[in-house]
Amino acid sequence: MIGESYRQKSENDLVRASLDGDKQAFGEIVTRYQNMVARTVKGMLGDSVYSEDIGQEVFIKLYHSLSDFRGEAKLSTYIQKIAVNLTLNEIKRRKRFFTTFSQKGNNEMHEFEVADHDSEERKDASELVNKALMRMDPKFRIIVAMRMLQGYSTKETAEILDLPLGTVLSRLSRAQEQLKNILGKL
Amino acid sequence: MKVTDFKELLIRSLDIENDPVPVSKKIEEAGATFSFSEGFRDKVLEKIYSSGSAVVREVEFVRSLNSVFYRIALSGAAAIIILLISIYMIQGSFSLDSFLGLGNGYDESIICLLTGN
Repeated sequence: MIGESYRQKSENDLVRASLDGDKQAFGEIVTRYQNMVARTVKGMLGDSVYSEDIGQEVFIKLYHSLSDFRGEAKLSTYIQKIAVNLTLNEIKRRKRFFTTFSQKGNNEMHEFEVADHDSEERKDASELVNKALMRMDPKFRIIVAMRMLQGYSTKETAEILDLPLGTVLSRLSRAQEQLKNILGKL
Repeated sequence: MKVTDFKELLIRSLDIENDPVPVSKKIEEAGATFSFSEGFRDKVLEKIYSSGSAVVREVEFVRSLNSVFYRIALSGAAAIIILLISIYMIQGSFSLDSFLGLGNGYDESIICLLTGN
């Protein structure tokens, strides 16, 4: 099987093949990392069609910048950085939109993002996580998404977010406090 | 898993002392999974590789521009080095006068040169 042979290839082999125009190789990269990107993007933006669009943008941007990938870091870290940057840009764009069109600003944004879920009665684990994350301050949300959903250490989180380790540690501690309060109300 | 236990697990996942990998796996096993819709991979590939795709053309253009730029930059750097060596060999220094070609000139000769007298 052709697909099987791609599944056994290393990250660097897939990158090289993709750069040579091998569609199947890039498809394998998408298959391998789409759930990781989904955890970051949906964890940050909520479960909506916008998240799917941002997810697609992540891989399109990856394709554009594959020639810049030198293989010094893991491909997953490289993709994660793209996902975080695009997601943060989307959050900024939404914040600008809601600040412009609403007096309530940030609070309105949270209500908008969780509206789909509030209409359902189902309270499964994904929904609870989503609700809690959407009620968090975005600067804490990204730290929580990295640790809670991706299982990254503080060092890896600092590397992906380009933040000092001390900042990650202090935000993690404050995020935990905020999460306790939010979960207490859910 | 009970909701209260799950909430406790979520809070514990942020403990700095805990190893984040097993905790995040437990959260996933409890049902907190995030994935894109079916056909996500095909949608991405279609956007990138569709025939005559602007994306592909743009990437190829940027690549060829980069390779041309490197060649021009290398030639430019070589030309600058040759110019510096020749200036140093002719004028014997890298002063401003040497760069302006005035290293060996006298004021009178410059005035003659400029005025033509």
